[in-house]
Amino acid sequence: MLASTLLVANALAAAPKAPRSLGDLGPPQGPVVRAVLTSPPRVPPPTGRKAPAKVIVELEVVEKETPSSEGVSYTFWTFGGTVPGSFIRVRQGDTVEFHLKNHPGSKMPHNIDLHGVTGPGGGAASSFTAPGHESQFTFKALNEGIYVYHCATAPVGMHVANGMYGLILVEPPEGLSKVNHEYYVMQGDFYTTGKYREKGAQPFDMEKAIAEQPTYVLFNGTEGALTGDKAITAKTGETVRLFVGNGSPNLVSSFHVIGAIFDKVRYEGGTNVQRNVQTTLIPAGGAAAVEFKLRVLGSYVLVDHSIFRVFNKGALAILKVSGPEDKTIYSGKEVDSVYLGDRSQANLNAVTAATQAAASGTLTLQDQVAAGQALFAGTCSVCHQANGTGLPGVFPPLAQSDYLKVDPKRAIAAVLHGLSGKLTVNGKDYDSVMTPMNQPNDDEVANILTYVLNSFGNGGGRILTEEVKKVRAARPAAAAAPGH
Amino acid sequence: MTASRHAGPLLLAAGLLAAPAVAARRAADCVPVPAGTVASVLAVDADPGPVTVPAFSMRVLPVTRGEFQRFLREEPGWQREQVARTFADAGYLAGWPATAAAWPDDAAAAQPATQVSWFAAQAYCESEGARLPTWIEWEYVAAADRTRADARSDPASLARILGWYARPASTALPPVGGEANVYGVRDVHGLVWEWVDDFNALLVDADSRSGNDPDKLKFCGAGAINLRDRQNYAVLMRLALLSSLNGADSTGSLGFRCARPASLEKP
Amino acid sequence: MSSDCIRASAGRILAGLLAALAAMAAASAPTPDAAAPAAAVAKAHLPADSVYQLAQMLTDQQGRALSLASGHGHPVLVSMFYTSCQFVCPMLVEALRATEARLSAAERARVTVLMVSIDPEHDSVAVLERTARQRELDTTRWSLARTDAAGVRKLAAVLGIQYRALANGEFNHSTALILLDNEGRIAARTAQLGGADPVFVRRVKASLAALP
Repeated sequence: MLASTLLVANALAAAPKAPRSLGDLGPPQGPVVRAVLTSPPRVPPPTGRKAPAKVIVELEVVEKETPSSEGVSYTFWTFGGTVPGSFIRVRQGDTVEFHLKNHPGSKMPHNIDLHGVTGPGGGAASSFTAPGHESQFTFKALNEGIYVYHCATAPVGMHVANGMYGLILVEPPEGLSKVNHEYYVMQGDFYTTGKYREKGAQPFDMEKAIAEQPTYVLFNGTEGALTGDKAITAKTGETVRLFVGNGSPNLVSSFHVIGAIFDKVRYEGGTNVQRNVQTTLIPAGGAAAVEFKLRVLGSYVLVDHSIFRVFNKGALAILKVSGPEDKTIYSGKEVDSVYLGDRSQANLNAVTAATQAAASGTLTLQDQVAAGQALFAGTCSVCHQANGTGLPGVFPPLAQSDYLKVDPKRAIAAVLHGLSGKLTVNGKDYDSVMTPMNQPNDDEVANILTYVLNSFGNGGGRILTEEVKKVRAARPAAAAAPGH
Repeated sequence: MTASRHAGPLLLAAGLLAAPAVAARRAADCVPVPAGTVASVLAVDADPGPVTVPAFSMRVLPVTRGEFQRFLREEPGWQREQVARTFADAGYLAGWPATAAAWPDDAAAAQPATQVSWFAAQAYCESEGARLPTWIEWEYVAAADRTRADARSDPASLARILGWYARPASTALPPVGGEANVYGVRDVHGLVWEWVDDFNALLVDADSRSGNDPDKLKFCGAGAINLRDRQNYAVLMRLALLSSLNGADSTGSLGFRCARPASLEKP
Repeated sequence: MSSDCIRASAGRILAGLLAALAAMAAASAPTPDAAAPAAAVAKAHLPADSVYQLAQMLTDQQGRALSLASGHGHPVLVSMFYTSCQFVCPMLVEALRATEARLSAAERARVTVLMVSIDPEHDSVAVLERTARQRELDTTRWSLARTDAAGVRKLAAVLGIQYRALANGEFNHSTALILLDNEGRIAARTAQLGGADPVFVRRVKASLAALP
């Protein structure tokens, strides 16, 4: 009877296994692989594997005090010594043997929950590790995608707020399409008792974390992580893929790159792709992969478009693109012209027309006269009268003026720098003060004077902007200027 | 057995001659803690009310390196080279000088003794006729601050405690002797984690997010302990650390102190 | 301030001296129901990580003194329980029985089972004896044992078992069936209660096969 029991037992052991679940690509093949982990913003190279393998991942938890901003330090609890933690890259179907080590200098126990793991707690239940210990558990990566991992030791919010998160990429079996650069960016919110950029070692503030009022919102754990000489780089004509995670613990990210449009977004890190996206939503504890081709050189700013987080909490990173310019796509500033807005009433249309003509180099005498006429009214006409006759004994006339006939250009100096002292115009003496009229710009002065020379029976003539500019620059000797 | 019992009284006579000196050393250390109740962070389904804590006495300070060094000389079985792996793992007494050598200076000797396993801590306390405090005794004393028996609802008090957790363990430990709480016990917070007698009674699910979902087959009785007061992060973190350890483990941030019940009749 | 401690000091000194005496006599004649404090010295004839390094004296259901290390020389299946446990502990017994049933008669003869109570206050020798009888346990190889509270805590720590007393007299405890090899090292453990765990059974057989 004992023998038959044993036979039955053996038969049961040899019974066919349960059918494989979707994504289970079979047992591991080939040599055991030691996963290459990278520190942000670098991403490990594609696995290049064609079959599932056994992969060993070793990740160490280190508690360390590092800067979160200039002069501000914070005690971060890190996976692999960085915030976010090391980037892990495996292929769908891989059997991953995960080793979590907790540095003996740690005060706290830690564990890990990988969102790419199918199993209790995402691995958290099997990786609870005391300081100076190592835990191991094994899982099969059944689903492809870009996933967040984080510590899940009580109090979980505090462990996450202290920077215990990162990304694990499970490649689809055929691999991802080729791009020139892959980068790793992860947003997080941080809570300190001190204010934004208050200097010194800042402790964690649980009250602010519960109230969801962060002090800092940062890409890759510190202000300046990805700016200046630490900016991520690319060249025009290249394609960039960003793996963007949101470690949170509280906030959702509206991820946008100023100046770029995402050609492709694997939104939520899943399989479907959206195209031509300006801003993509990355949930707390979620991730996305965005791809775009760079055509114009310059600095592209990565932001969370909840915009106060950029300017007041530090959510800013830079992608610096170098290479030749292509003005057909983006020209830079072409025109800086006057825009009069609601000042463009009927009588000032001429002025607008003249400005535009001047800008495009097509200014005619008629344009200037028309514009000058509009500007004369209400400014010069106050003293010299609308018909240019002036006021006998007080303001000299402009009409048929022999003063102007002698040297039309001397009017420029009169307008810009003023005129005072004895003066004879058309046989009459004047001893009055004309204050400098330097509010009109060079174009306007040229237009006004051109109008005057061509009106009131004067002989004609033309004043150009360049001439006005020269006179404006050459201020007369101190004695002449009457002041204002 | 019988032979040693006869030898007892003779040795007792010799011992009593030395008693005053030894008594002086050991008596200076403890304070009485009156009986009371504490709303424990560990809520067990069957018993939601506050827990009664009988009166006991507790050491004012954690055991120092100097004191533990003396114990190692008296009980060489607990020295690093001699102790069984069952009672102390590879990290036991890491960084300690050889037993014959003294600590480099008084400041070092006054630091709390860390890198000590539960078995070693328990043995030290037994050598003083005491034991490690129970979790409830520790929680009861830890609820107090300088003036109140229960300061746990005061956010300032909680923030102070959390501030210690925020500092990394890479800096050297300060010596014992911090501010006393209302019972006169010092360094309950802010210095080191401390062993408790029933560290392996803290049946906390390794993944604390499962909430009130006890796995009745894994933990017989009422299921895994549900953490009742999730606001009390200071205590939660201490619980998390202790529940992650085995009796032979030691860490650089984990020390201990001793306690004894008020009535000596209790074992 | 420390009056409580001074008053009690004389009694403590006596207790301390007796403990020291017990320690000195530990190797030859350990006192019952007590673990000798100085017995931390690694016993040279045992592996450094053997559970038997803990010199714990127990009392079995017959009232006989039983050393923890009495299993030295053959594999032992160990667990911790309490008699008034309604749910898991009966399943523990069944799991042990199911594990044994997978062994040949010859194999079974070389394995003993040790179940230690975590409730010594209620599980007296008489209660243990009654339990053994009611469950029809083979007491030639099965022992239901008890020891003092401090000893229970130490044994649980060495075995990696967790337990906690509740106010209503029940206990919260982790479930574990542990295999000690002939030298007292923990060779396998299982928490599977619905019948025998095949991996665990294989380890038991392997331990037996490794015997001289």
